[in-house]
Amino acid sequence: MNTSYGFKQYVKEIFTGSKSLIIGMGITLKHMFKPIVTVQYPRQKPIMTPHFRGHIEAIIFDDTKSHHCVACGLCARTCPSHVIKVQGEKTKAGDRKYGKQYFIDFTKCSLCGLCVDVCPEKTLKFSDEYELAFYSRWDGVMDIMQRLEERK
Amino acid sequence: MNMTQLPIIKDIYGFLGPDLLVGVVGLLLVLIFVPLNSAFLVWVERKVAGHIQLRPGPMEVGPHGILQSLIDAVKLMCKEMITPDLADKPLFWMAPCIVVIPAIVCFVVIPFSPVMQIRELNVGILLIFAFSSISGLSIMMGGWASNNKYSLIGAVRAVAQSIAYEIPLLLSTMSVIIMSNSFKMSQIVSDQSTVWNFILQPVAAIIFIICSTAETNRAPFDLVEAESELVSGFHTEYTGMRDALFFMAEYTAMFIASSMAVVLFFGGWHGPFFSGIVWFVLKAYFLVFVTVWIRWTFPRLRFDQLMNFAWKVLIPISLLNLLVTAIVIKVL
Repeated sequence: MNTSYGFKQYVKEIFTGSKSLIIGMGITLKHMFKPIVTVQYPRQKPIMTPHFRGHIEAIIFDDTKSHHCVACGLCARTCPSHVIKVQGEKTKAGDRKYGKQYFIDFTKCSLCGLCVDVCPEKTLKFSDEYELAFYSRWDGVMDIMQRLEERK
Repeated sequence: MNMTQLPIIKDIYGFLGPDLLVGVVGLLLVLIFVPLNSAFLVWVERKVAGHIQLRPGPMEVGPHGILQSLIDAVKLMCKEMITPDLADKPLFWMAPCIVVIPAIVCFVVIPFSPVMQIRELNVGILLIFAFSSISGLSIMMGGWASNNKYSLIGAVRAVAQSIAYEIPLLLSTMSVIIMSNSFKMSQIVSDQSTVWNFILQPVAAIIFIICSTAETNRAPFDLVEAESELVSGFHTEYTGMRDALFFMAEYTAMFIASSMAVVLFFGGWHGPFFSGIVWFVLKAYFLVFVTVWIRWTFPRLRFDQLMNFAWKVLIPISLLNLLVTAIVIKVL
């Protein structure tokens, strides 16, 4: 490599370098006046995607205006972490049983979804609730039937 | 600093002489201005960074988060100041005290407007260069005294960097000084009443801005406190208000470097419609904004790139620029 070639490269590098620096600064300046894209969390709340897994909750069906839980206990039996307890009730003898209380201990739930898959009445789904922080471990135990009443 | 506007103070303290009065009042104003300015610049920095990254930046304290850095200062004052066991105690204590000296002293000679200058010195520019080198000393002291490998590496880098970048900085300043034939800051500004030096000396101006960015240890030349390599460089071991003093010195150094660039290249207080101080402050804050903008655009240089850039690019170009300036001045 002769000297004049090296010098040419040196000058060329300075000019191409300065050009790319100016282009870069133009890009950041343009971005500075674009609208912000972040969600201001406590002020604005994002809506979760349909596949988000919050704690499980009962679906409200149109025919009964309530859940279809029959308190069969399959979810409680299939749960690998043993966090579900279902309490059923019959109004009169010979009638169908229906779910009265449905406790889950969310602090131990691994959100595997086996209860949703196994439910014969297809009355369970994942909620889009994401603010699931508690002050005490007993606050993590929730009755999803009670939450259903609150949602109605 | 007009004496006739302060008749009562003149009656009481007149026997001390106008120079002393101007000095005392001016220094008090500087002592008020320096912390407020750095709090404001921290907020500006965070806001600009946020908007460049498409997020809003601080929003909670005050309208658009403008009081955020004041609250942070209160927090830092309340924090415990930890001294490491194996630190060199006197030096460790002294470094943050020394780092604020240039931040305050350099304001003495900056001409904000024809009358707003605390002290007119014939060697104003030399004074600023001399005192800004003290910040390098305090970085070295802080890095050495912390007895921490990251601090020490940061300090070593600071020394190498400031030696390399002071040469082109002085050379580019020299070409302006040759043109106006004076080290007086007000003289240099009044020479630019018709044409700014930026138009006559664009190369020197750009080199000056690059080198002052490097001298104030700002990105992309922030190898001194490279977060991803050196925790936070020379002030890794500093906590609470001592850390805040280093921060204050950094942001004040930014403002002083921008003021120097305004004085040398951007016509100082000259400008239409408004009075001198307004123009000076506007120009200085615009240059500060440019430094912040540069920081959030470019990635950090590697150390060999940093040294190559200084010795192989900036110094030859600034020498050539000085030579051409000298010849042109002599011939014309």
